[in-house]
Amino acid sequence: MKILVPMKRVADPDNANKVKISPDGTKVTSEGLEAKPNPFDEYAVETALRILEDGVGSGNLRGEVVVVTVGGDDTVRQVRQCLAMGADRGIIVQGDDDALDSTIVANVLAKIVEKEQPNLIIAGKQAVDGDSNQVAQALAEILGWPQATFAGKVEVPQDLSSATVTREVDGGAAKVKVQLPAVISVDLRIVSPTGVQNNVAAGKDYQDGPRYASLKGIMKAKKKKVDTMTIADLGVDQTLKVRSVSFTAPPQRSAGVIVETVEELVAKLRDEAKVL
Amino acid sequence: MELKRLDNDDLLTILGTLNDFAERELPFDKRTKWDEEDICPEDIVKTMLSEDVGLHLVFIPEEYGGLGGGAYDVYRLSCEFAKKDVGVATSMLAVALGTDPIRVGCTPEQKEKWMTRIAEEGLIVAYGVTEPEAGSNVESLKTKAERIIDENGNITHYKLNGVKQFISNGGIANLYTILAKAPDGPTFFVVERETEGIEPGKQEEKHGIRLSNTTQVILEDCIIPAENIVGTKEGQGIKHSNEVFGFTRLMVAAFGLGGGLSALEKAIAYSKERKQFGDYLYKKQGYTHKLIVPNAVRLAAAQAYIEYVAGLLDSSEEDRQIEGSVAKFFSTESGNKAAEDAIQAHGGYGYCKEYEVEKIKRDVRILTIYEGTSEIQQNIIGVFRMRQVVKGKGKFLVNMAEGLEGNDTVNGTLAAKAAAFLDAAAYAAFKNKLSREQHIIFELATSIAEVETAIQLCKAAAEGDDKLKQAEARIWAAEVAVSAPTRMLKAFKQSGKVSDELMKELSIKADIAGSIDAQSGVLEDMNLVAELLVQD
Repeated sequence: MKILVPMKRVADPDNANKVKISPDGTKVTSEGLEAKPNPFDEYAVETALRILEDGVGSGNLRGEVVVVTVGGDDTVRQVRQCLAMGADRGIIVQGDDDALDSTIVANVLAKIVEKEQPNLIIAGKQAVDGDSNQVAQALAEILGWPQATFAGKVEVPQDLSSATVTREVDGGAAKVKVQLPAVISVDLRIVSPTGVQNNVAAGKDYQDGPRYASLKGIMKAKKKKVDTMTIADLGVDQTLKVRSVSFTAPPQRSAGVIVETVEELVAKLRDEAKVL
Repeated sequence: MELKRLDNDDLLTILGTLNDFAERELPFDKRTKWDEEDICPEDIVKTMLSEDVGLHLVFIPEEYGGLGGGAYDVYRLSCEFAKKDVGVATSMLAVALGTDPIRVGCTPEQKEKWMTRIAEEGLIVAYGVTEPEAGSNVESLKTKAERIIDENGNITHYKLNGVKQFISNGGIANLYTILAKAPDGPTFFVVERETEGIEPGKQEEKHGIRLSNTTQVILEDCIIPAENIVGTKEGQGIKHSNEVFGFTRLMVAAFGLGGGLSALEKAIAYSKERKQFGDYLYKKQGYTHKLIVPNAVRLAAAQAYIEYVAGLLDSSEEDRQIEGSVAKFFSTESGNKAAEDAIQAHGGYGYCKEYEVEKIKRDVRILTIYEGTSEIQQNIIGVFRMRQVVKGKGKFLVNMAEGLEGNDTVNGTLAAKAAAFLDAAAYAAFKNKLSREQHIIFELATSIAEVETAIQLCKAAAEGDDKLKQAEARIWAAEVAVSAPTRMLKAFKQSGKVSDELMKELSIKADIAGSIDAQSGVLEDMNLVAELLVQD
């Protein structure tokens, strides 16, 4: 069993208020900000590890987890972080974020699928920078594979032949079953203690959230393989289908005031905010 | 020169793991609750040392299953950890400290046994040196180790009796390294928690770092196998405890820096929210130039010095006791001051728990006390640096400041001038037997810390193109060029033991008037620092 996990490097979402719009207004810049793996992609790595683990947190996998990213050379740190969590191997397809759109990324991933022949692709539902939420769906379409998106729960039988995926919908949950190979995109709830059931590692729950890149894992990751290639190597058409026309920052919020009494608050709401 | 350091990407990933760990396990509401209720989150300490995280592996050598990080790596980890919580960071420090006697004193076989277990099992370790009546003065320890001898005259066991005081991790440790007086002198012993006769005493109710567990440890006829001695013979304990100071003091210095920086960040953030008299606090010079900028400057100096010491430790095997002392003394005092000022900067809110700065203040307060008080550090710095200056024929600090003369981007000339004066002052103190006056030694130590940190900050700022750092270097060099000579001249005069002739000679060298003349532009620099700090 081989699981492919696409991962995107993003600016630390905790510093989202520090991103700036470029002077020409055509892109968002995050220079100088800490880079991290996209959180949903970390959940995808965690999901892949839980599916293949033969015991809770054992680290013994019944197969291989391969992390692939499209980005600059410096994404190697985020790839290694995923390897430190327990993934086996990494692939970096060199590309410049500004020269990519969801279609190009999906096509690149399709080529990687062709090379790697995974049985399952687990992706984060979207990247927290662009919030496009397109790659997993487009990839499934290109491959002609079944897709199950926004998974909050995944259950696989012992023989890993299919996956039953639950997603939250308004007022309830929808459950779908897909035959493998398939593309699954995951939501936050997948990393809850019982988000993944593989019918092997039963009896004990996982911790809430993705596992840490442990220091032992970081040591092990140094010995793991990371291949690098270019988009051109893969023969993917790099014509952008989506062009960003302009970005506008939301209006600056003025500072709050601390009021001393309820009377003052009411007075301000009436006289200044005019909401009463 | 080859530095013994982790790969930078690995270090950043480790710091990321620390950040994730703290975000998940140590959120604000939990820390506040534990602080209020005086609870050490033992489970979280265990997680921190478990296979899932394993932060302690940074300071464990590779051959025993660690990452074998250098002083620089340990500094970065300690600094970031202290930004989260000095109490929990102290738990990690105690593991490092407790492991140190094993690291420096054990035979390879003993290390294989203990270090590997600490690395792999994530044992909580505690360092048992301090006693109720043996604080800074370790030699006065009372804990005894008696030999137990079999019929053939071989030592088979040791019997330990005594009380250890203020032991971090004392109540939660799996393993203790205990200093006790054996017949041939003070000796470290490794004692496992399961051993009969070792029991934690009551938990101390502390002013700060309340998330850290601190207890007495009582040894009552505690019998341990003879092989648990650290090393092969008795009497090496004091040597072992002295060998690790450069490293552990750097860790505490890094706590001072981290604690101070987190207090400063909170004050800066507050100044951008709070409006009084129609304008934000950060726009008021009286506010920034009193409560923000001086602390940013001192912390920048502390950081430059810590990085200098880390570089020294990582490029040679030498223990750097004096430099470790300067780093610890200056950085923890600076962190303490920054936290104190952060309370003031928040006004009444700073005095309330909600804004966290009062907790930071209580937490960093320990740093000028544990691992050698500031006063012990001042004594070491004053006495030993003075001797080095004498040995260096009055050129020690001048040599350190080499290359700064004439560098106006960082006020290098002022730093070099202060260095030259301090060389002369240290030399004069020695020649005039002023070192017998502890007051003079302490004043000298304070001045040395100021001047050496100024030299290192100037050097670091001169290397890059960091506008903030350069302005901070200019401010600190200008400050120190006045404060250090003023302090020393005053102290010399106070002693009544310095001849008028020498006073005159030193005054000329001090050239305080010249340094005051060089202050023009400093206010502008302070404006610049304030402006850069409040920028995102």
